[in-house]
Amino acid sequence: MKTSTWAQMARMAWQYLMRRKLRTTLTTLAIVFGVALIFAMELVLPGVEKALEQSLEAESEGVDLNIASATGDAFDPQPALDTLHNTQGVAAITEVLRRRIILPKTQQLGDITQIELIGVDVATLDQVRTYELRDGRFLENSGEAVVAPDVGKTGDTITVVTAVGLKTFAVVGVLTQGGLTPRVLIHLDEAQTALAQPGLVNLLEIDFEPGVNKDHLTDQIKTALGDDRYLYNASVSDEFAIMDIAYLIFGLFGVIALFLGAFLIFNTFRTVVIERRHDLGMLRAVGATRRQIMQLILIESLLQGVMGTLIGLILGYLMAAGMLEAMKGILDQYMGQFFDIGLLVTPGAFAVPVGLGLLCTLVAGYWPALRAGKTTPLESLRPASGATVQRAANWGLVVGFAVMALALLMLIASTKTTIPGAILFLVGAVIASPGMVMPAARLFNPLLTLWFAREGDLARGNMVRQPGRAAITASTLMIGLATFILIAAIVKGFEQLMSDLVDRSFSSDILVMPTVIGTYSSIVGADEAQVEELRQLPDVEEVAELRHAASTHNGQRLEIYGIDPQVYPDVSPMLFTKGESAQAYGQLNEGRKAILNPVAAVMLGASVGDTVKLITMQGQQPYEVVGIANDLLNLKLATVFISQESLKTDFNKTESIMMMINIESGADTQTVAGQVEDVLREYPQFTIEITSEYRSTLETMVSNNLKIYYGLGLLILIPAALGLLNTLTINVLERTREIGIVRAVGGSRVQVRRMVVAEALLLCTFGAAVGVLVGVVVSYGFISSFSLMGWEVDYVFPVMGIIAAIVIALLLALFSSILPARNAARLDIIRALQYE
Amino acid sequence: MPVVQTESLTKIYGDDSHRVYALNNVSLTIEQGEFVAIMGPSGSGKSTLLYLLGGLEGPTNGKICLNGDDLSTLDDDDLSRKRRTEIGFVFQFFNLIPVLTAEENVAIPLILDGVPRSRALQRADEALIQVGLLDRKTHRPAELSGGEQQRVALARALVTNPALILGDEPTGNLDSRSSDEVVQLLRQVVDNGGRTLVLVTHDPRIAAYADRIIFLKDGQIVDENRLKGQASAENIRERLVKIAV
Repeated sequence: MKTSTWAQMARMAWQYLMRRKLRTTLTTLAIVFGVALIFAMELVLPGVEKALEQSLEAESEGVDLNIASATGDAFDPQPALDTLHNTQGVAAITEVLRRRIILPKTQQLGDITQIELIGVDVATLDQVRTYELRDGRFLENSGEAVVAPDVGKTGDTITVVTAVGLKTFAVVGVLTQGGLTPRVLIHLDEAQTALAQPGLVNLLEIDFEPGVNKDHLTDQIKTALGDDRYLYNASVSDEFAIMDIAYLIFGLFGVIALFLGAFLIFNTFRTVVIERRHDLGMLRAVGATRRQIMQLILIESLLQGVMGTLIGLILGYLMAAGMLEAMKGILDQYMGQFFDIGLLVTPGAFAVPVGLGLLCTLVAGYWPALRAGKTTPLESLRPASGATVQRAANWGLVVGFAVMALALLMLIASTKTTIPGAILFLVGAVIASPGMVMPAARLFNPLLTLWFAREGDLARGNMVRQPGRAAITASTLMIGLATFILIAAIVKGFEQLMSDLVDRSFSSDILVMPTVIGTYSSIVGADEAQVEELRQLPDVEEVAELRHAASTHNGQRLEIYGIDPQVYPDVSPMLFTKGESAQAYGQLNEGRKAILNPVAAVMLGASVGDTVKLITMQGQQPYEVVGIANDLLNLKLATVFISQESLKTDFNKTESIMMMINIESGADTQTVAGQVEDVLREYPQFTIEITSEYRSTLETMVSNNLKIYYGLGLLILIPAALGLLNTLTINVLERTREIGIVRAVGGSRVQVRRMVVAEALLLCTFGAAVGVLVGVVVSYGFISSFSLMGWEVDYVFPVMGIIAAIVIALLLALFSSILPARNAARLDIIRALQYE
Repeated sequence: MPVVQTESLTKIYGDDSHRVYALNNVSLTIEQGEFVAIMGPSGSGKSTLLYLLGGLEGPTNGKICLNGDDLSTLDDDDLSRKRRTEIGFVFQFFNLIPVLTAEENVAIPLILDGVPRSRALQRADEALIQVGLLDRKTHRPAELSGGEQQRVALARALVTNPALILGDEPTGNLDSRSSDEVVQLLRQVVDNGGRTLVLVTHDPRIAAYADRIIFLKDGQIVDENRLKGQASAENIRERLVKIAV
């Protein structure tokens, strides 16, 4: 097509869009929401990521090479030091033992909830790097600390929780830079005592001689030390994992929103093509080719896409700015005031939302355009035959049901095909829905006539006349509701699983809990002496303790727990999915044996009887898998249970992060809990809980946390609501002349209004019915597939989710019909009759 | 060479169980510069014949030649090009694009043919001068009367200088004054421009302007009258009544 023709087509498309401003606005909104979500994500998350990276880089400023253990845990530095001291080009090495500590509530320093305790070797530190001070002096004598500005000022004393009780330090200097987490610098040997890791470090900071080729020397050191035990210039950070999850959630919601938006645009353009049959036919009659007609519709949808994308970008920017403002407060608290974070507006940030926004509208406009192009001039000049429309709908029903049947087969065939099966079922329902309009209208009409005597019949007629349009509106709502039910079912399933696990995991009488559950690398436990003291209490029958270390597998984090297999099953029996529990526990003490949780089993690709290689402080070590089992503490994380003996040998860890106590029969739980509290008075990082009370608190907490997801589910319904509003408004516009006739022959404004509301209700009831069916099937498919990821979640029929979905659908129908119904009722009869 | 020539033209609608012969074995020849009116009762196949001549749909059997080209051998794009360049259509319902001005509506076939916009608008203005509506060129269809809209449609049919103009009841929706204006314009186009005009009409008064009238009944030519502008409307009406009974 020549440029002049393109330009005229674009001009004509624009004029068509401007002629129906309300419809154009509503359709444009469909794309706005998805683009805004994705753009906001692209603006905020890379900015946060960059700021994190910068902060991490700033932390090791001036250091030529960092060496940490491959597991992130502490190691004996001597072998590495021996090699490094003999390496040409290495000027100086300093040893560091550091750990981020989440502070117990009673020990928080003002607003600061966590600190990074850094043990430095004053004798060698100066040769490698300097910490700039804004006030005071650096460490000289024992019992001194140099702290971040937020933590305190020179002359203060600060009390820090340690593995050997509370320790007090005198602040002698204040750092200029706060660090990612507010730092507390102390002498290395004091840190080793405080963290129960005598002689160990977890970082070697190295300075090279001037003029040395850094990359070359780094490679040389890597070769000498090997890379199975050590990480070079790397920092494994939990924050980056969180970023990945944020990307996933935002991306998923953005894509679902865009998908629904595309549906709406598809719906609008189908209507546009039908509505403009005469114009298109005339264009064909005066010589427009099929391709030119297609291009006209595609240009129109593209224009709409451009507008929607532009507005989406503006809205996305505002959303991002708002989110950043909200996040700043939290980030400042966790990461210090020097954490410089801003929106990262790069060309790359525009690529995905702009690309997806335009692609969505083009894809959505493609089929209506194709259909428009296929119509012969005469077809367009004559009215469509009702029989043709119904025949197409019937074919859709046959094909749709066949697809749904195939999907059901996939759902029951194997857990590997459940998700594709679930999605295919949804696709089948969408294909079948035009054919279901007629029977659904018949089915629900009696209900409708209860409220809307005569108007109900008119509404039913309107819906049945355009089954394609009714089906698309219903499908939009259906996808929204199905997603909502899916979320409800997942929440219910997890609630049930959590409840089972809580009951099992906390079978002891008394619990000694760490500050937080889950991020055990950031807490300080208690050393063996304290646990022994607890065992000596007269009414204590047994104490099972949990010890923790960390490892990695292909860059992903692996949690390692040390348990005592003799007593652990009595206080916190695991739920075995493979292997026999007594035998597995029995074998655990026989050398390098491991029980994996299902997530770890999937990650390591191992089953009972296999041998897995774990990265330990002693290099890679083979562990034989003796069982696969779940418990509450490690539900979401890949976890390996080994004996405490193995944890000590391979991971240098002896501190206990959690203790579970059973008391002698006849003893009073409250009294024993009081005694435990006395023993642990120097360990405010622990809270002592009566297990039965804690269980119910935990169950409530878990259930409350999971409910947040209902909120997310409701967000997905926004585009569905927009879709409904859009279709109803278009319906009214399209039937302007018809409404004029109804009014001309004596229909009252109230009757017209009721007709529109009745149609909305009928559409929504249909959408809700299909949505509930699809929601149940899809949620079943998704929940079954969780076993692939290692979560055995039972399917709990989401009764409340379904009821909520139906209520929401009816409310949506009523709310979205208010405006179109009012517009319809207010139409001027003469103008409506003259409407083209 | 005749502008239009058909041989045994047949058009059947419906499926095997219910076949309707819209046209049955129609052969006719129309020479350049002729004004032919097609008349007949409702359902006689008048419009179908016109649509087949314009390549808007294909025949079930038979052959149509337009300026010597057999339409059945042309693909959709070639047919579109032929409609754009060699045929001008005027419909009963004016079929103007509501969002475009009168001038833009007239220019549409040229623009679809790739003529630069400024040149297309210039030629549209010339066509509008022919139908006496240049002063209304910036108006949209909704702002024009029925007669004016039909004159815009006529200008659009003329703008590409087509050899053949096809009119499907172009005055069917107009009052008698506007009808006269439109048909007189059409007559002028034939007389002064040497174009060929085929017009479907119910109205004997309009048919009386034609050089030849073809009467159709049940899809077949039942009578043909070369009038050369001599017959009165009354004569034609009598003929029609005779055919209908």
